[in-house]
Amino acid sequence: MKTFILSLFITLTLSASAINHHQIKIIEKIFSEISISTELKIWSDNKKLLSELKKCTKFITVENPKDATMIILEDRDNLSKEVLSKSIFVLNYNLLSKIPKSFGALFWKKGRPNIVIIKPRIETQSIEISQALHPYLEERVW
Amino acid sequence: MVKKKELFLFFSLLLLGIFLIYTYNYIKEAKHEIFVKIEKDKIQQIANIFDNLKRATLIHHNIKNAKELTLFLSDKRKRDEQEKKLSFLLSSNLKYIYVLTKDEKGRFRFLLDASKIDKANFYQKFDVKNPKYNLLYQTKEPQIIKQKDMENLQLTYLHPIIINNKVVAILSVDITDNLQNNILELIQPLETFFIILIIFIFLLISMTIIQVLHYFFTRKKIFTDPLTGLYNRNYLQEILPMLKLQHYSIAMLDLDRFKVINDTYGHKTGDFVLSQSSTIFKNSIRDSDILIRYGGEEFLLFIYNRDNKISTFEICERIRKNVESFSFHFDEDEINVSVSIGIHENPSLEKNVNEAIKVADAMLYVAKNEGRNRVIQYSENRQKHTQTKDINYVKLALQENRVICFYQPIYNHQTGEIYKYESLVRIKDKSEKIISPMEFLPELKHTNIHYKLTQRILSIVFDAFRDNSLSVSINLNFSDFINQDIEDTIVNELSNNRDLASRVTFEILESDEIDNIALLKEKIDTLRSLGSKISIDDFGSGYSNFRTVLDMDANYLKIDGSLIKNIDKNEKDFQVVKSIINFAKEAQMKTIAEFVHSQEVYDKLLTIDVDYLQGYYIAQPSEKILQKEELF
Repeated sequence: MKTFILSLFITLTLSASAINHHQIKIIEKIFSEISISTELKIWSDNKKLLSELKKCTKFITVENPKDATMIILEDRDNLSKEVLSKSIFVLNYNLLSKIPKSFGALFWKKGRPNIVIIKPRIETQSIEISQALHPYLEERVW
Repeated sequence: MVKKKELFLFFSLLLLGIFLIYTYNYIKEAKHEIFVKIEKDKIQQIANIFDNLKRATLIHHNIKNAKELTLFLSDKRKRDEQEKKLSFLLSSNLKYIYVLTKDEKGRFRFLLDASKIDKANFYQKFDVKNPKYNLLYQTKEPQIIKQKDMENLQLTYLHPIIINNKVVAILSVDITDNLQNNILELIQPLETFFIILIIFIFLLISMTIIQVLHYFFTRKKIFTDPLTGLYNRNYLQEILPMLKLQHYSIAMLDLDRFKVINDTYGHKTGDFVLSQSSTIFKNSIRDSDILIRYGGEEFLLFIYNRDNKISTFEICERIRKNVESFSFHFDEDEINVSVSIGIHENPSLEKNVNEAIKVADAMLYVAKNEGRNRVIQYSENRQKHTQTKDINYVKLALQENRVICFYQPIYNHQTGEIYKYESLVRIKDKSEKIISPMEFLPELKHTNIHYKLTQRILSIVFDAFRDNSLSVSINLNFSDFINQDIEDTIVNELSNNRDLASRVTFEILESDEIDNIALLKEKIDTLRSLGSKISIDDFGSGYSNFRTVLDMDANYLKIDGSLIKNIDKNEKDFQVVKSIINFAKEAQMKTIAEFVHSQEVYDKLLTIDVDYLQGYYIAQPSEKILQKEELF
């Protein structure tokens, strides 16, 4: 647990300088601690993120959002109807409010990386998280 | 020893380098601290303003703890009001101002955020991992976090909000690095200048180190004689300024008849003898003594005399005995080697070390003259007899016509007549005291003054004997013989006065200086063509090369005084003299025995058919030309 938090924190801290690269690393860590009821197939509207995740052997990525079981969303405009039923992880805190289906977010606040996972939403969507992510659980979106 | 100036330069550069590094580090440190120092005042101002705000808000609304504060700020209108007040503090350097509180799980949450950009929602979680956030809660003291790699943030200032002596929230101010960047930009040229200066200084230090190392690596070659492994004269020059003469005695050592060894056995043998002798010298002295190869076969020894266990004379005598007793064998040849040593026990009494060396050298000269293989120590009494006069002394004597000649009769014991006179140079000093040639001739060797002196002697002798019928011997050494001016003086005088020429004998010292027999023979022939005679002086004294003697085709052979003086007591000397006389007869040369100082010697010489006799027993040298009635 401690090791995870430390490594995550180091990654988070480092991510501030080269956000794209480290954002990917943090997301990889977050998703390696998450499990959903079906096979994890990731799609993202951030093409760079998707191509990086593709290189990672731990995850299955898909080109078509329809085939995905997990959506990583950066821009709300890219949210089509067909993905509304899927689990959504956002890259902007405000999207948590705007997209009720979204269960978590990774975003930068005052230069620091922040993670929020909304507890009621993961429970509704049968998303399980490991102990390592518990410090980031929130009951609601503020 | 490394030269002082090199060491001084090295240490100066090192100190300068250290100083520059220190200054550079100071600037580097200051570069980081200066921003904190500049911002500190600003932060203090913010803290003061915030304290006022806090009092106005918290006290006014009677807020007693974190819960009540959160509740109070949960009202958007009140929050906006407080945020508006805080936002006045924002500037280009103060990017974010916000208030955090800790929830029941210990997570930090926004209560207020007066930032213009990237504004957080009320009670939104804020992931901070720096331990100073929690430290503030423990210490209740403001904290400063130096940020690294976080947007363009440089510092985060944390100010505690305390109610009832309990921290209820944190005022957090994020300060950008804009100011620092400006400062750094200004400092950069100075920093670059220091870096260049430091590099330059270290290049100089490296060069000095290389020079010093080079000096150490090459000093052995510079200061050591490759043949003997001893120090050479370069080393002497190096140590002279530091040498405390009062702690040392000086000895001059010279291998006897070394030229004979070289000529007889070859240079390889000569080198062997030098090398072996050097080893013997080294083994005979102590670590505290300094031995230097001064010249070809000449050595200079500084004997440390602060240790009174053994005297200077004893050390030198030990060297002499060790050389004498050592059996020198090279290529199946056994070589007899001996060493003569002159000592000056108190060199510090002299003006400088060169003067002291001259005294030791004069003692060496005495040792050579007294028969070699001996140690002669300088003493006041001896000094009286051997005190050397410099060239200027002789030059002045020449100018003031104080160079004179003494004449010593050479006696024909068969006829009872004076056969001829030997002319002997003297200088009359200003107090009419007669100065012996031993006191000034060594200084003149190979100098122009020596030739001028010889010319003067020739002139005096020619004047003294031109108008009488007496015969005279004049001493010349080889270098005189081959000097054109001297030859001209002789030829000019004698070619016009054949009578005088026939009464003049030139005595040549048969010495190791003669290195060109053909030239010598040519000069002898010139003199002989004038009608003069040739005598070989000091035969048997050392360099007794029979072949050379025969080549010179001399009329007389003068047997060296060292063989004569003890002939009445020393059977070996007697036998040697007898052999020389026989050799001379075979070569059709007349013999002259010098140093006849007693009747015993005189009587002994009469038994072996020597032709002529000379010495104090017969007559002392005199300025006046003595008559036969004045003999004995």
